[in-house]
Amino acid sequence: MAFEPKPMLPGDAHDAARRFAEASATTLARLQEPAARAAELAVQWDALLELGWAGMLVPEDCGGAGGTLLDMAALAEGAGSAALALPLVAVCAVAPTLLAGQPLLLAELAAGRLQPCVVLAGGITAETGRLSGRALGVETPPVPGHALVAVEDALYLLDLGTAGAGFTRHERIDGRLTLDLELQGAPARLLAADAGASIARARDLGALLSCVEAVAAMGTLIRQTIDYLLQRQQFGTALASFQALRHRVAEMYVAWRNLTGLVQAALRTPEERNIAFAKLRLGEAGRFVAEQAIQVHGGMGMTEELPATRLARRILMAEFEWGDRHAQAARLLAAA
Amino acid sequence: MDETAELAAFRAEVRDFALTRCPPEIRAVVAANGKLGRKQWAPWQRILHAHGWGAPSWPKEHGGTGWDQRRRHIFDEVLAECDCPPQYHHGLRHLGPVLIAFGTEEQKARFLPGILSGEDWWCQGYSEPGAGSDLASLKTRAVREGEEYVVTGQKLWTSHAHEADWMYTLVRTNAEVKRQEGITLLLIPLDAPGIRVREVRTIDGWHHVNEVFLDAVRVPVANRIGEENKGWTYGKFLLDRERLGGANVAPAFRFLDRCRALVARELAAPGQALKREQLEYRLLLAEAELRGARELGRAAVEAVMAGEPLGLMPSELKLSTADTVQRIGAIALDAVGERVASRFRPVDASGPNAEVEDIEWVQNFMYLRAKTIFGGSNEVQKNVVAKQLFGM
Ligand SMILES: Cc1cc2nc3c(=O)[nH]c(=O)nc-3n(C[C@H](O)[C@H](O)[C@H](O)COP(=O)(O)OP(=O)(O)OC[C@H]3O[C@@H](n4cnc5c(N)ncnc54)[C@H](O)[C@@H]3O)c2cc1C
Repeated sequence: MAFEPKPMLPGDAHDAARRFAEASATTLARLQEPAARAAELAVQWDALLELGWAGMLVPEDCGGAGGTLLDMAALAEGAGSAALALPLVAVCAVAPTLLAGQPLLLAELAAGRLQPCVVLAGGITAETGRLSGRALGVETPPVPGHALVAVEDALYLLDLGTAGAGFTRHERIDGRLTLDLELQGAPARLLAADAGASIARARDLGALLSCVEAVAAMGTLIRQTIDYLLQRQQFGTALASFQALRHRVAEMYVAWRNLTGLVQAALRTPEERNIAFAKLRLGEAGRFVAEQAIQVHGGMGMTEELPATRLARRILMAEFEWGDRHAQAARLLAAA
Repeated sequence: MDETAELAAFRAEVRDFALTRCPPEIRAVVAANGKLGRKQWAPWQRILHAHGWGAPSWPKEHGGTGWDQRRRHIFDEVLAECDCPPQYHHGLRHLGPVLIAFGTEEQKARFLPGILSGEDWWCQGYSEPGAGSDLASLKTRAVREGEEYVVTGQKLWTSHAHEADWMYTLVRTNAEVKRQEGITLLLIPLDAPGIRVREVRTIDGWHHVNEVFLDAVRVPVANRIGEENKGWTYGKFLLDRERLGGANVAPAFRFLDRCRALVARELAAPGQALKREQLEYRLLLAEAELRGARELGRAAVEAVMAGEPLGLMPSELKLSTADTVQRIGAIALDAVGERVASRFRPVDASGPNAEVEDIEWVQNFMYLRAKTIFGGSNEVQKNVVAKQLFGM
């Protein structure tokens, strides 16, 4: 029996998210045109909201499920195992963390009426309630409606339909949708002036759940790589018989297991330090696994239609979410 | 007391013991990344034994502590955190369990007390010039003559043979059968006539390994463990007992701390900022990997506690730590190499080691190359992992 990855957080939530993501990937694989893909993603996103996942972390008295970090992580792991191309973590985990203490908005979020993209990366300034500046490649739900914008320690809610707010749309390397925001004195609602702590918490949660998604994607990618090498024949034999490739896969597996250890520790004790080390390691281990998977698939590894390359691009992208490895290193060194 | 409180109390007890009872001059050698020998290990073992902690992994009836895997893990971890030497493994962890499982009553009575007290010093005679990763190809021959075996051949890489009293040795007693089925495990005193031990000089400038030449050495049959030609089974049993050796990542964390301090001290000048930041970054990457390995180690300990199979965990641990530790050694080399590598060995002194300050970082870098070679090389570990992953 060849390798089958075991989930960190097995159970119904994981399985449901996994089935959802696998079905999503199958449908999307047939669509090439960006516009057609965006339209399909909009349909899938509505289906996801129907399942109530936007309310997973929202308290019950705000209409949510009152779930824990581990409940959310189980969804992220299931979704990650098939590289779900929807902003599950940004909208369903980071946004409610930012909105902690805003019961009305949390209720809107849980009901699927508020679908914000999240802008934590800087580049935006605020003057008397008006936002200006640019934010590039912001992950977004298929139909952009609002943005939660951090400006230093302050948190704003911006209606993207308002005058002074413009955007163009892109697709990321992992097939998710993004916005380039261009703000010129766009009026926004100040939600909290001193939200520094919750902004930091939200970013950390995003980083941790990106790691969870990536670990899951790496497990699937390693399995697909093994299956491919077992089946692909060259020189009259399966590629899986060549030691150079066997060792490469062993290295991918060990890197994945090592990262899994870090992510499990961070899930158990979600402190800043644990998360930063996990995300730092993701930069190294994830990149390695993605690159090597492409390499040992040969020319097939260069094609967009191969499921393995979709996973590889998801893993590569995960590093750039919520602070790349150098950002993690910088904060670890600053704390030392 | 609930279990976690009990374990926390145990941890505190071990720490207190380690800090108050391990002689400062021995801890200083560990703290300075120095070379450990019988001179440091034997007195430390005596102290542990006197306290009843001589053999953490042995059952009580043989003088062990009877601790479960969790406590043993804590014990090893705390000793490392306190810069105490890890216990010398050849007698305690390798031979002892084999003696307990397969030895005769006479053998147990003769050998276990000396291992416990640190009185007898053991080394492992497995590898040979022609038998490394492929150990089963070993050729050192033992021919039975009455109540003795006559042993002739050569062992190689025998760590500590120059300071040991005894060598547990795999020898060939039958060359006609499948290779693994003609091997026997003998206990050979190193002062027996016909034995010659020669230093093998290694790249680190320390003396650990030797060649051991055996020329018609007469070994009583009473020194055979178990049955003739069953030595491979006992050797495998021994290695299986050691599979969790990699679970203790604490020494690697201490090594990392020391390297970090070295980088800060060595590269404090403003002109060194780029180099310092690069090395600090590499240290963080290494720390991340060690943290991952520490989790794998904990999971392995819990698997043992739950009676679950370890599967690939030992190989994962070895592959997750061996070259990480090498990388830490390389960071230290990068920090001081330019200053000290050019002064490795004094030409006019007799000893192999230079007295140059910080030269041990160069020695350690060199020594650490062995981490991916012995105990099942990285390549051999990857073969094991791949076989399992591919199912072929
Ligand atoms: C410092 C040190 C201390 C030691 N102490 C002891 C001791 O106390 N007692 C003792 O008995 N032995 C000891 N050893 C020996 C050690 O166990 C062997 O070095 C080890 O088993 C490797 O064998 P070898 O050196 O013959 O290398 P080889 O087996 O010749 O290997 C050479 C290279 O080929 C690779 N290789 C081998 N087989 C394969 C394969 N199937 N696929 C891919 N690559 C492969 C290896 O990984 C290695 O890189 C010690 C070694 C060192 C360096």
